[in-house]
Amino acid sequence: MNKKNINRRDFLKLTAVGAAVVAGTRAVTSTKASSTTPKGEHQWAMVIDQSKCIGCGYCTLACQAHNDINPDIQWNTVNEVGMVANKHVFLPRPCLHCEKAPCVEVCPVQATYYRDDGIVMMDYERCIGCRYCEIACPYQARSFNWEAFDGRNPVVPKWGQPEVERRPRGVVEKCTFCYQRIDRGLELGLQPGIDPDATPACVVICPVGARIFGDLNDPESNVSKTLQNNPSYRLRENLGTGPRVYYLPAVRDTVAEA
Amino acid sequence: MFKKLYSKLMITPWTIWLGAMGIILLSGLVAGIFVFWKGLSLTNLTDLVPWGLWITIDLSSIALAAGAFSLCAAVHLMGLKRYEPIARTATFVGLIGYTMAMLALVLDIGRPDRFWKALVYWNTHSLLWEITIAIMLYTTVLVFESMPIFARFEWLRKHFPKIAAKMESIHHYAPILAIIGLGLSSMHQSSLGAAYGIIKGRPFWFKPEMSVLFMLSAIVGGISLTLFVSMLSSRLTSKAKTNDVLIERVSRFVGWLLIGYFYFRAWDALSMSYTYDPGRSEGLKLMTKGPLAFNFWIVEMLLGMIAPMILLLYTPTRMNRFWRMLALFLVAAGVVAFRWDINISGLLVVMPYVPGQAIAYTSYRPSLVEILTGSAIIAYGLTAFSLGVKYLRVVDHSLIEATHETVTEKDSEAVPA
Repeated sequence: MNKKNINRRDFLKLTAVGAAVVAGTRAVTSTKASSTTPKGEHQWAMVIDQSKCIGCGYCTLACQAHNDINPDIQWNTVNEVGMVANKHVFLPRPCLHCEKAPCVEVCPVQATYYRDDGIVMMDYERCIGCRYCEIACPYQARSFNWEAFDGRNPVVPKWGQPEVERRPRGVVEKCTFCYQRIDRGLELGLQPGIDPDATPACVVICPVGARIFGDLNDPESNVSKTLQNNPSYRLRENLGTGPRVYYLPAVRDTVAEA
Repeated sequence: MFKKLYSKLMITPWTIWLGAMGIILLSGLVAGIFVFWKGLSLTNLTDLVPWGLWITIDLSSIALAAGAFSLCAAVHLMGLKRYEPIARTATFVGLIGYTMAMLALVLDIGRPDRFWKALVYWNTHSLLWEITIAIMLYTTVLVFESMPIFARFEWLRKHFPKIAAKMESIHHYAPILAIIGLGLSSMHQSSLGAAYGIIKGRPFWFKPEMSVLFMLSAIVGGISLTLFVSMLSSRLTSKAKTNDVLIERVSRFVGWLLIGYFYFRAWDALSMSYTYDPGRSEGLKLMTKGPLAFNFWIVEMLLGMIAPMILLLYTPTRMNRFWRMLALFLVAAGVVAFRWDINISGLLVVMPYVPGQAIAYTSYRPSLVEILTGSAIIAYGLTAFSLGVKYLRVVDHSLIEATHETVTEKDSEAVPA
C-alpha cells in the first residue's frame, strides 16, 4: 500500500517535471517564433555620433531633396539637446526603424510593414490616413500630408535630385532609410554604407561623418564594429521597441577629441 | 389648392424643428464638401494631436448606441421580455449612433475613398482593424434588427404590404441577432478603450482598465440616452407613448450601474495619483487641475455620476419624471465628456524622445469646419430620431410584437401601469 502511494507520488512528480519541461521549451520556441520582424540577409542600421554632429542640418536638407518632401514636413529632424565641454550637442532623429514597431502593430490595413532587411516601409497606395500610427509612434517620426505638395521643391536641385514619387494628400509618410538607394545600389553590386550611391542621403551628405550606416548581420561592417567598440544608447529603450538607430553619446572626452 | 398647401406649410413646432435642423445640416454639408475638396488642413488637427473633435463624436455616438446591444441582450437572452418596447427604441438609437460614427470617420480619415481597404488587407494585430470590422458587422446586425421598425412606415405598409410583412418577420430572429450583437459589441466597445490602452509611448493611456472603463461607461450611457430620448419625446408629442413603470425600473438599474462606473473611474484616477510617472502624472494633472478640470470634476464626476446616482436611487426623485429625465441626460453627457477628456489629455502631453528633455504640452481647439460638420452629424442623429418617432412609432410602449416562432417562450407577465 505504502509502496504504491510512493510510486504514485513519483509518477505525479515525473509528470509535473515533464510537463514543465515541455511547456518551457514550447514557451522559448514560441517567443522566438513570434518575433514579428523577418530576418533577412541584411539588417540595416544607423549609428549617429553625437560627439561629431555640429547641428548643420545638411542631413535634413539632403533628405528633403532626395525624397522630395513637402517643406512643411521633416523626415529627419535635428534637435539641440544641451552643452558638453562648451560645445552644443545635437540629436538628429530619422525614423528609427524599430524591430517591434508600434506603428506596424496598430496600422489597420498593413500599410506600414517590415521589410526583410528590417526597414519599416510605408505603402502609400494603401494608407487610409487614419493617423493611428502617428498616435502610436513614440518618436514623432511620422508626418501626415495635411495638404497636397504641388509646388517646386525649394531644396532641389541644390541638395539633390528627387528619387521617389511624391506622396498624395491624406497619407502618412516617414523616413525610409532611403530604401531606393539601397535597393538600386545592391542591384549594381555596390555596398550600402560604403558606396555613397547605395547609402542613405543623410549619411552621404554629413560633412563631419557623424552618421554611419551598414549591416548588423555583417560583423565586419562599420556599424557592427563601431557598436562593438563604443558605448551606445537608443531612444526610449524602456519601451522595448528595439530601434535600429544607435547613438554614440557626446561625453567630455569624445567631444574634446573631435 | 393654395390654401391646402399653405396649411401644410404652417409654422408649427415640428416645422420649426425641422427648419433649424435643416440649417445645421446644410452648413455642415457645405463645410464637409470643403473638407473633401481642400483636405484636412482646414482642421486644427496636427501631427501631435491627430485625433480631435471628430473622434470624440465618433467614440461618443458608438458609446451612446450601446443601449441597443445591452437591452436587446436583456430582453431576448435574459428573458426580460417586458422591456422589449425599450429595446426597440434602443435598437433605433443604436442604428443612428453607428451611422453617425461612420459619418465622422469618413470625414476624419485622410483617404475616405480607401475605407474599404480594411476589409481586404487584414492586420489582425491592429485594434483599429478589429474595431472597423466589428462596427461594419454590427451595423449590419442593427439594420436587420431595425427592419421590423421600418416595417411600421405607413406608406410602405400601404404600397408594399408584402415587403413590410417580410421585414416585420425578421423579428423572429431577434434572439439570434441579440447573441451576435452582444458578441460583436462586447468586442469593439472594449477595443475602443484598448485602442488607447495599448499605446505604450503614452503612459497616460497605457493601462488595461481602459477597455473596462469604455465598456462600462458605454452600457451606462447608452441605456440612459435611450430612456432620456423616450421620455423627452413622450413629453413633446402624442406620437410617443411610454410606459413610465418600465422606464422607472430601468432607471433604477442605471442608478446601480452608476455606482460601479463611478467606482472604476474614481479608482482609475486615484491610482494614477499615487506616484510620479512621467507622462501619466502630467496627463492626470491636465485632467484634474488643468484645462480639463471643469470637464472632469463637474461634468464627468459631479453631474455625470454623483448627481444622477442620487437622483435615480432616491425613490422620490426617481418617481418624479423631471428629475429622472434630467438625471438620465446628465449620465449621457458625462460619458461624452469622459471620451473627450481621455482622448485630449493623452494627446496634449508631448512625450520627449530626447533623453532627459522635459515633458512638453501642446494645445488643440477645433476649427470652424470641424465644429460645423460635427454639429451637422449630431443634427442628423436628432432629425433621424424625431422622424422615427413621428413616422415609425419608435417610442411606443403600447406596441407588442408577436411572440417568436423560433423559440418557445412564456408569455410576458403583465406590468401594472
